[in-house]
Amino acid sequence: MTSVARSLPFPTEVIVGDKLSISIGPQHPGSGHFRIIVVLEGDIVSEAIPDPGYVHRGAEKMCEFRNFVQNVPMLERTTLPDANGIIFPYILAVEELMGIQAPPRAQYLRIISAELNRIVSHLYWLGIYGVFLGHSTMFLWPMGDRELFMDLIQTVGGTRVTPSYIIPGGARNDLPDNFKDKALKAFGYFERRLKEYDRIFFSNPLVLKRSQGVGVLKRSEAIALGITGPNLRGSGLKSDTRKDEPYSMYETLDFDIPSYPDGDCWARGMVRFHELYWSMQIIKQAVEKMPSGPFRSRLPLLTARAPAGEAVARTEAARGCMSYYVVSDGTSKPYRVRVSVPSFRNMIGIPYLLKGGHLADVPAIYWSLDYWPVEADK
Amino acid sequence: MVAPNALVGKVNEILVQAIGEPLRYLVNWGRLYSLWPVHVETACCSIEFGATHGPRFDPERFGLLEAFGSLRQCDLLIVFGTVTRKFAPRLKMIYDQMPEPKWVIAMGACAITGGLYFDSYNVLPGIDDLMPVDVYIPGCPPRPESVLQALIMLQEKIRKSKLR
Repeated sequence: MTSVARSLPFPTEVIVGDKLSISIGPQHPGSGHFRIIVVLEGDIVSEAIPDPGYVHRGAEKMCEFRNFVQNVPMLERTTLPDANGIIFPYILAVEELMGIQAPPRAQYLRIISAELNRIVSHLYWLGIYGVFLGHSTMFLWPMGDRELFMDLIQTVGGTRVTPSYIIPGGARNDLPDNFKDKALKAFGYFERRLKEYDRIFFSNPLVLKRSQGVGVLKRSEAIALGITGPNLRGSGLKSDTRKDEPYSMYETLDFDIPSYPDGDCWARGMVRFHELYWSMQIIKQAVEKMPSGPFRSRLPLLTARAPAGEAVARTEAARGCMSYYVVSDGTSKPYRVRVSVPSFRNMIGIPYLLKGGHLADVPAIYWSLDYWPVEADK
Repeated sequence: MVAPNALVGKVNEILVQAIGEPLRYLVNWGRLYSLWPVHVETACCSIEFGATHGPRFDPERFGLLEAFGSLRQCDLLIVFGTVTRKFAPRLKMIYDQMPEPKWVIAMGACAITGGLYFDSYNVLPGIDDLMPVDVYIPGCPPRPESVLQALIMLQEKIRKSKLR
């Protein structure tokens, strides 16, 4: 069956024996820019083959033709919902290569922008998850509240989704004076909203029926498959790069890592739901603890050269552990940039999770992993 | 005395002037306020399209309906950004499957010229070779306000177009 499904250019519906192979995506309301070839026995999924690569733009190769600073806006477009979080480790790796140390104020500014993006990314996920479970209110509420945090990102970085705020040597600009009042006002409102979210969605009996016990990923399986991020924490493992290998002043902040032992779609959702709260707490503390001083060590030159060598950096993006491996040969352009994205590692879980489930649960399980195809395809 | 054929031609001309113009206006008016976009995401501009459908911007007040219908009922194809070599035949297939009349909006710099990925080995330099485009939205990604502006421009175009 696998060979039949793979041999066709666009396999839409193929029947072999009592098995039916259908293609979900890339033009499907429940898939995004991604295709899953699902082999069905009646209503039960007997095999699921992910087919990524519809958005492969060659970001790694293109890095070799742009210099270190020009790569920042290009690499952040791999994950627009989480632009600051995705560029964070690249900046850390480039700074390690160039031997630049960002001032303490810049470290906190980076934390603020990355956590704002984590909230925005999780709210986008929640909105689409609501649509996938047939809950239209849960599309409109997070999308409306997301605009509050979009406004905050605009206040910090200047644009809605592509701020390019974190640059080698610090942050691009300082926080405006009105940021603190604006942020506290938005957080006060959103903390009240979180209780309503819980009442209407996460405690809703219909949502519980559709998500509890669906797509169960056991703790041992999650570790063996290499799942990262909220999906790993939804399987009961308290693993977070922000706590395990603290970077950029995260060790000075007091926050908790939410974790649920169930490993089903509901647990993965609840982890993200609690992370919304903890991200706000992190931003509040960072604004308080932020020392005064320069926000940038020096303006990075476009032709800044890095000495020959290699550097690796790892951070926790919204979708999981994100890392970059940058090799320099002494010129102003990197010799090689390897991007290791969390979405691709979470995609490895898709065939295991979908197998044995119902066809109607495919969108719920798929989106509960928060798989972003643009990020996985690079 | 006027020849019968000339009389028929005259009547036809009068009828076209009397009915054709109101009929064209009526049909176009019906079409332009109920645009059904195809739900096909090609790249990262889809996140701003999602934000456009949120409560703050709400394109339904202008007549852009939600993107969850069937392909066979849709009349608007919005290409969200980068089209790769793997996705291009699929996008052409989607365009061919849509019934007439249909309109195309190219959203984002990647759909217009390739944008930031102009020198990538796997990205098409714009979608003009695949299908005719009605409205281009510049930006990387365009703001939701730009999407609404493009929608209004497309509606003006439909309002002035000939009856198809």
